Amino acid sequence: MINVVLRRELQSLFRAPFAWAVLAVTQLIIAYQFLAQVEIFTELQPRLARMAMPPGVTQLVVQPLLVTIAMLLLFIVPALTMQTLAGERRAGTLALWYSAPVALRTLVLGKFGGVLALLGVIWIGAALMPFTLAWGTALDLGTLAAGLLGLALLMAAATAIGLFFSALTSQPTLAALGGFGCLMFLWLCDWSARVDGEPTLFTHLSMMKHFQPFVRGYVDSADVAYFLIVIVSALVLTVWRLDGDRRAF
Amino acid sequence: MVARGLTRRYGSRAALHGIDLTLARGDCLGLLGLNGAGKSTTLKILTGVLAPHAGSVSFCGHDLARAPLAAKRHLGFLPDVPPLFTDASVDEYLALCAQLREVTALGEAVARAKARCGLADVGPRLIRNLSKGYQQRIGIAQAIVHEPAVLVLDEPTVGLDPVQIRDVRQLITDLARQHAVILSTHLLAEVQQICTRVAVLHQGRLVHEGALGGDDCWLRLRLRATVSADQLQALAGVQQVTASDDGSWLLRVNSPAAAEHIALGVAQQHLGLLELRPADSAIEQTFLDLTIGAAAAPAVHA
Repeated sequence: MINVVLRRELQSLFRAPFAWAVLAVTQLIIAYQFLAQVEIFTELQPRLARMAMPPGVTQLVVQPLLVTIAMLLLFIVPALTMQTLAGERRAGTLALWYSAPVALRTLVLGKFGGVLALLGVIWIGAALMPFTLAWGTALDLGTLAAGLLGLALLMAAATAIGLFFSALTSQPTLAALGGFGCLMFLWLCDWSARVDGEPTLFTHLSMMKHFQPFVRGYVDSADVAYFLIVIVSALVLTVWRLDGDRRAF
Repeated sequence: MVARGLTRRYGSRAALHGIDLTLARGDCLGLLGLNGAGKSTTLKILTGVLAPHAGSVSFCGHDLARAPLAAKRHLGFLPDVPPLFTDASVDEYLALCAQLREVTALGEAVARAKARCGLADVGPRLIRNLSKGYQQRIGIAQAIVHEPAVLVLDEPTVGLDPVQIRDVRQLITDLARQHAVILSTHLLAEVQQICTRVAVLHQGRLVHEGALGGDDCWLRLRLRATVSADQLQALAGVQQVTASDDGSWLLRVNSPAAAEHIALGVAQQHLGLLELRPADSAIEQTFLDLTIGAAAAPAVHA
């Protein structure tokens, strides 16, 4: 049953030019940055050769690339999730799901999977680009794998948050704005951190603080747990919100 | 088959007060009411789109609140706005709906639903590009693709042209032979034409529920002379007399044959018979009485 919802979500995403535009623009930006970083790396090569512990290609090319993709996701994901529930509510098609023998969690998970599948294309692009360097240089595969894991978790968390905001309203643009605002806040909220570097509540909430270790090659179970908690709570809240549509208060 | 206990819903105000409805295979129940009477709310509760504050709904013995998935398998629903994915083709959309309802013979089910709703030649076309009439029929096809025991239609003929209205009514009549159908409308003629039973909602209350047709029939009488209701009541076969706004009279009689006696009586009294014909909508009077005349009347079971 979850496959039926997932396939429908993918159909709806790919039937509109929007998803293709998102993929094209993202790929263009990532590719441009990738080329620029490779250029910098080749220019720095002579100086790097004289260093005792030179930073490798993974640090100089792949890490900035992952950070750029993460920043792009903050904009892209709410735009992709805004139609999932808000658009259906506006078009009146939620009634089809509600009157069909489909549990709400199946509906939400199906839609979550559908958007993730689309983001998977971006993820694969991000993974393949560094591999083109594997011929000429030594890639740090461990760091790369950690970074890609972090990227996948970030994608899932952003999608779950986007879905929740999409469940709140019948106006897709409002859903996109809400999702974007929430993600941006989570990303930047450790701005309020203290000067002495002592962690505050906002440091713990900050998505960026939990994402950066992955990029540097550290997989900390606390960071993994952070993302899993965000994903699960956003999905549970989405199901609750949809249930609230029909529940009697 | 469907059984329903009391159902009720509030926004901040009461929308439905203890509605009871039952439906068996072969029944076609027309749900009538003025705008805002609670028709759509009732249908949404019946289909699980809204939960009631009190009361329960069950299909084929499955309670909608306790076993929603089992119950919804027996249910087909056309909301007031057809829930169409306009970026899909008719075939894709119907196949998706069939899969959602766990139909096994997918191609067969889709082909059958298309044939019944006159969609056979638009299968590969995108729903977005089809006319309103087609979209409405796709909405009906979606509701019957899994051969549900109960079919719930919210204003199925709204926005259609006269030919399409006739086709859709014929389709519903056909469907009602094998399914239990409940439809809401504010067109009295529609109920009279296709329904076997009628329920009238007024301000969230069920003010009338019963079989349609029966022995009652109504005649419209127009006279040149000015007469009183009592005078007409005295004519043979007349059971009830109501004055109509346009100066004519509506007479409830026990059989159409009473027309002969009335004509004879009117002629003998030299009242100047101008018109005597079966009234267009027998239930119109019932409906107006129930919703406007006797607004506060308790539920009547005919």
